[in-house]
Amino acid sequence: MSLIRRDGGEIEALITDRYLDSLLAIQPSPSLVLDGGPLGSDPSLSAAVRAVSRRLATDLPRFHPSFRFEERLALRLAEVAASMRLPVAAGAEGALVPIRELHPATPDSLRATEGDDEWADARPLLIGGAVAASALSLAGAWLAWRRRTSPMARAIRAAHQMRQPGGGA
Amino acid sequence: MARRALWRSGAAKDAVPRIAHLDRDRPLVEAAQREPARFEALYRRYLARVYSYAYYELGDHHAAEDATEATFVSALTNLQRFEERARPSDGEGASTFRVWLFQIARNEVAGERRRARRRPVEPIGETVVDPIDLEAAAVRRDEARAAWQALGRLPGERRQAMVLRFVDELSTAEIAGVLGRSEGAVRVLIHRALKSVARDMGVSKRSGGRRGSEL
Repeated sequence: MSLIRRDGGEIEALITDRYLDSLLAIQPSPSLVLDGGPLGSDPSLSAAVRAVSRRLATDLPRFHPSFRFEERLALRLAEVAASMRLPVAAGAEGALVPIRELHPATPDSLRATEGDDEWADARPLLIGGAVAASALSLAGAWLAWRRRTSPMARAIRAAHQMRQPGGGA
Repeated sequence: MARRALWRSGAAKDAVPRIAHLDRDRPLVEAAQREPARFEALYRRYLARVYSYAYYELGDHHAAEDATEATFVSALTNLQRFEERARPSDGEGASTFRVWLFQIARNEVAGERRRARRRPVEPIGETVVDPIDLEAAAVRRDEARAAWQALGRLPGERRQAMVLRFVDELSTAEIAGVLGRSEGAVRVLIHRALKSVARDMGVSKRSGGRRGSEL
């Protein structure tokens, strides 16, 4: 490949990169917003690249593991965290405490809160296959929701917690 | 509000200390370094992203869970060694923690893949879980399946770069950090991958639509 052609390819890649920056910054319907925008009509950007970028940005699903896995891993991390504290805290009893219990429900600026997740948009979200083993029977549920913000998501989480031993009344 | 920190590059040509915006995750990271139980906030923030990345790469929920678990346990146990290295070019919202986290995830996925070689695993494009047959979601489902399958047919690094860009929405600079490549190389990687996916999905140059219909 000649130097000129390589430079041309790199320039094209740079233009594509700028387009992707704009595309991915716009939610939830990048295809609608960018079609008539300045980048949408940039003649130096291939129409095919534009089209497939829009499609991937809106159609590629995201995956969330089962809530059971999420809570199990949280517990394991709590155990690891507790074991990390033991050598430091002289005289510590070393009892394992679930992370949630270390964080009361009071507002905490250091916790990830609702609306904090910049990943929340209108894309499809597919719950991991392991959820089939959960009491919710949501195997393969194909849901387009705003995670943590939709009433449905909250209801599912609440229902799941109710079913956990000691998770609620 | 972005505070500032001194950043020193490991590369010889960039060895001059520079002022960089801090990692957007820094308060959470510092809290977790002081008190490991505080790692939960980082865990909750990045769980789905890491899991998505692992699932796209491995095409198996159980393998993705294993890689995800190993990633977060490794991140927690090594958090004291994490050092922020945000660069101005990473942008205002750059998160070097997440670059570091995805580096770990990439290694864990590679390890999981090595272990999985002993047992047959379907290619990513063939493992789409059948969703609930909701009529309203059917079209969307088919589109997602087609996009996913096209991505699954890309070779290794191109696919990884595309997943990190489109699913995890990392910047080019962050992907360069994860893959250990230059930003220019990542840009070219993604550009070529897009052209390849466009061909694969039958997106025409003229209309920009897919075969037989418009986007």
